[in-house]
Amino acid sequence: MNAPDRDLHRVGGALEAPRGVGVRMPLIDGVEKVNGSARYTADLPAQGALVGKILRSPYAHAELLEVDVRDALALPGVVGIVTGEHCDVRYGVIPIAQNEFPLARGRLRYVGEPVAAIAAIDEATANAALAAIRLKVRELPAYFEAADARKSDTVLLHDNKKGNLEREVHHEFGDSAAGFAAADLIREETFECAEIHHAMMEPNAALASWDAERGHLTLWSVTQVPYYVHTSLAQCMKLDPAYIRVIKPFVGGGFGHRVETLNFEIIVALLAREVRGTVRLLQTREEAFLTHRGRPQSHIRMKLGLTRDGRMTACEAEVVQRGGAYGGYGIVSILYAGALLNGLYDIPAVKYDGYRVYTNTPPCGAMRGHGTVNVRFAFESLLDTMAAELGLDAFAVRRRNLLSAPTETINGLKIMSYGLPECLDWVEQASGWRDRATRSGGDGPIKRGIGIACSHFVSGSAKPVHFTGQPHATIALRVDFDGAITILTGAADIGQGSSTVVTQVVAEVLGVEHRRLRVIAADSALTPKDNGSYSSRVTFMVGNAAADAARKLKALLVTAAAKRLQVPEAEVDWFGEAAAVVGDPTRQIPFHDIVEEALVDVGMLTVKGLFTCPVEFQGGKQRGGAVGSTMGFSYAAQAVEVSVDAELGKVTVEKVWSAIDCGFAINPMAVEGQVQGAIWMGMGQAMSEETVYENGRHKAASLLEYRVPTIVESPDIEVHIVESIDPNGPFGAKEASEGPLSGVMSAIAAAIEDAVGTRIRELPFTPDRVFDAIHRQPRAGASAPAAEQGAA
Amino acid sequence: MSALPDFRLLRPASARDAILLRGAHPASRFIAGGTDLLPNMRRGLVDAEVLIELAGITELRELQDQGDALRIGAGVTLATLAADATVRERLPVLAQAALAVAGPTHRHAATLGGNLCLDTRCQYYNQSEDWRRGNSYCLKRVGDTCRVAPKSKRCYAAFSGDVAPALLALDAEAEILGPGGVRRLPLAELYRDDGMAALALGADELLLAVTVPLASNRFSGYEKLRVRGAIDFPLAGVAVALARDGDVIASLRIACTGVSSRPELVAGLDALVGHPLDDAALATIERGVRRAIQPMETTTVSVPYRRRATPVLAKRLVRRLWDEGG
Repeated sequence: MNAPDRDLHRVGGALEAPRGVGVRMPLIDGVEKVNGSARYTADLPAQGALVGKILRSPYAHAELLEVDVRDALALPGVVGIVTGEHCDVRYGVIPIAQNEFPLARGRLRYVGEPVAAIAAIDEATANAALAAIRLKVRELPAYFEAADARKSDTVLLHDNKKGNLEREVHHEFGDSAAGFAAADLIREETFECAEIHHAMMEPNAALASWDAERGHLTLWSVTQVPYYVHTSLAQCMKLDPAYIRVIKPFVGGGFGHRVETLNFEIIVALLAREVRGTVRLLQTREEAFLTHRGRPQSHIRMKLGLTRDGRMTACEAEVVQRGGAYGGYGIVSILYAGALLNGLYDIPAVKYDGYRVYTNTPPCGAMRGHGTVNVRFAFESLLDTMAAELGLDAFAVRRRNLLSAPTETINGLKIMSYGLPECLDWVEQASGWRDRATRSGGDGPIKRGIGIACSHFVSGSAKPVHFTGQPHATIALRVDFDGAITILTGAADIGQGSSTVVTQVVAEVLGVEHRRLRVIAADSALTPKDNGSYSSRVTFMVGNAAADAARKLKALLVTAAAKRLQVPEAEVDWFGEAAAVVGDPTRQIPFHDIVEEALVDVGMLTVKGLFTCPVEFQGGKQRGGAVGSTMGFSYAAQAVEVSVDAELGKVTVEKVWSAIDCGFAINPMAVEGQVQGAIWMGMGQAMSEETVYENGRHKAASLLEYRVPTIVESPDIEVHIVESIDPNGPFGAKEASEGPLSGVMSAIAAAIEDAVGTRIRELPFTPDRVFDAIHRQPRAGASAPAAEQGAA
Repeated sequence: MSALPDFRLLRPASARDAILLRGAHPASRFIAGGTDLLPNMRRGLVDAEVLIELAGITELRELQDQGDALRIGAGVTLATLAADATVRERLPVLAQAALAVAGPTHRHAATLGGNLCLDTRCQYYNQSEDWRRGNSYCLKRVGDTCRVAPKSKRCYAAFSGDVAPALLALDAEAEILGPGGVRRLPLAELYRDDGMAALALGADELLLAVTVPLASNRFSGYEKLRVRGAIDFPLAGVAVALARDGDVIASLRIACTGVSSRPELVAGLDALVGHPLDDAALATIERGVRRAIQPMETTTVSVPYRRRATPVLAKRLVRRLWDEGG
């Protein structure tokens, strides 16, 4: 493909395989996944483990008066039952907004909320026990739409939240009134985005083992954030974290579903302690949909001012998110939705009003592209519409509003590298954009069209959710008598390739072979704490920490080599797998001799690498200034070509060109995979994915009815990597996986409009919606697009 | 989904033994590929203590070219059917319909008989036990109200097999083995417009085979409306078999699926025989299809859309086959 070809680092000339950064190589744990030997949580051997099962609320909103488990507990084979009685501590990922119990206490707030859990000798017994639990409730009015929950006479889901508003945000940066006054064209449109779910491949599972003798807990889970899970367990179980060990085995995707502690992780631990043994809790796909934490249904009102030549003067956005029954990441989601209006283009003024609403639906959370995706759909769509009205080309209007790095946005976000111009150039050229006038036409029902969009995302949140004063990332390297280098990292590889990236960084700095390196990741008994795999922080932060650790280890080894070679350090020529005297390659010693020397007197070497975001990157001092702060943004531009069956409303994505500025591609193959995955996931949101609730009951809680695209829908995706070399990223790298997602929906909407003349502002573009949009009567006064094209 | 409930598996060696076992075990079901039955069992939709496996019955897997007809055993897999040379050349509608079912791994296991005897589907029925209990069940199982049409006395669950309309369009005949022997009937008579009992099969009857006439000069095809190009059941499916005599229609059969509780053969098309395929003929086809279908809220995709799009599929397909025959 098209990622940069590089001269491979062949230090010392003795090595065969490429190994450092910039090298295209398969993920280091890829083989196990392909040949089936990788063990995921559900595969872990656990002799004598009991079967755990969760009883879930059939009520959307009710007072929970009694959970009667006596009959269930009396069934032969039922070993233990836990209910809300077993944990009176609230948890939640945002320390100031913890309002969830692992098992409901006093109130049921959505269909599917855990009420009780059973540990039994087998599944049939557990099912029988679930059926024997009796709930006494008093049903309450329930609200399934944000607008209904916000009405004045509603019952509050959480007593301290008036109007069922979890959080209201009102931020203004720059002078929006002056901006709109300076505009030649002001337009406002509303956009509707359906709620979507992650549909990660691996269903939820957890295994908990309680060591009754020592009072220790070990938990294996599917998490992206082992550290958060660890602290939540300590908090909810009132247990010293020293008595807890959390291990993340192979994980089959997360996309934000697992980016906060999930109820079942605490429940299985409570069960294990209750039965003083081991409990395995495997869940169905339906239960993942009920645990949810996906992207909220969003109602967006977007207003934009442009000058005649396309310069942005001001933006005003109002976003209402249907957040579901509990807080989760909600505060961050509604803040990000506003903050990330900035950082992509040069906008002089942005006014933002956000409303995060509690409803009786499963809680939403931090899904891939957290906060920005739906707002980007609205912004790019409106920009296209206004550019067309002004007679401006879609590329031209975007180029008119580019930033120039280094710079700082109006809300205090620092931008140190900015490859968007190069992304636009490549996409324009590769997609044949300038030739598109000849593309459409034909009298048949199948029309073709092309559209573009830009997007961006943070490379790690510069302000961690849990403030500890600790570094943002810590990594350890260990070397002992065997000469192996063990990388100890808490970073959770969930398929995105973090262990591979860390390995490549260490190999690059030390110049050693991959075979000498091993990664031990995400086991709290062994590895340093890591905040987790979220906000695309790992490559940037952990990558930097890994480089720091490797440099420190190299310094120790060079010192040892100098000692063994009996020359000053400056005269050591470092070959990675060997060292020699500068100018005299015959005086060379192998790696094992170097290590042997390094261990004299001190024994095993352990070095630690750190990374901390400097405070000036943690956001401006103004109100809302810390939101969205990051060390670097990824940038993406893409073009999408579609065909639309105008008679049936069926849209087919034919081809995608996506350019990503990821700073520097530590592994171009992995970057391409991430970009393709992001495009594909965005395409799912654009084309077919949506949760469907009827009276709060999820009607599409399976992979048959929740329509993730299949390989048949997967278009050819051409990826181009732009390397802007960020001054702070590891070797210049930034994130690559979330930014490219956000532009997909509006690019497809633009392509549909190009094909059939109708702009669709409601996600997803299912055949029935597209059919309705095509056959809708044109608004009075609006000119037919065909006529406009004819006149042009 | 939940684990499979316990059951006994019986493996008869002949069709005759299979129906005897079925008669002897009231709470039993036949199982072939299991692609419909097993998910339904895991969702608690099937009361079967005994499964009678048909895989060992070789006579069910036979495909016989009888010269003027093709006899297809009910145990022939959809993958085999779609790849068969005679089917591809002489009965393309059947090959296309078989290929339109689910995904490759399903088609490798799924059989013709299983697809013809597919349980009807509905968004209120194909859910987990917990889901349905929380929703107070529905008329099709345990409950007393049809969630699609609450005032109705009947169940509107949709027949969703792709292969049945193809065989209806081809005027196929079904061969059924019962305790009294073999009976043959037009395939249309295998179905009833009742979501709870869409199959006119006795409890101890087994679909043995279908026989499809191998007419010459016939053009046929299948079109399926769905959100995704794989996996999805039809929102609507249309099968057409058309014969052309110069500039006029010699015969035309159209059948639909996914739009009522049985596969529907469109009535009133005989009037078009001897007429060219002009706008008036297409209008007749549109009227016929509209009358034949009754999509209900059995899926999350809108009913008006399915109602409006189905005739489009039919007209488009007829026109394409007309052009192929020209």
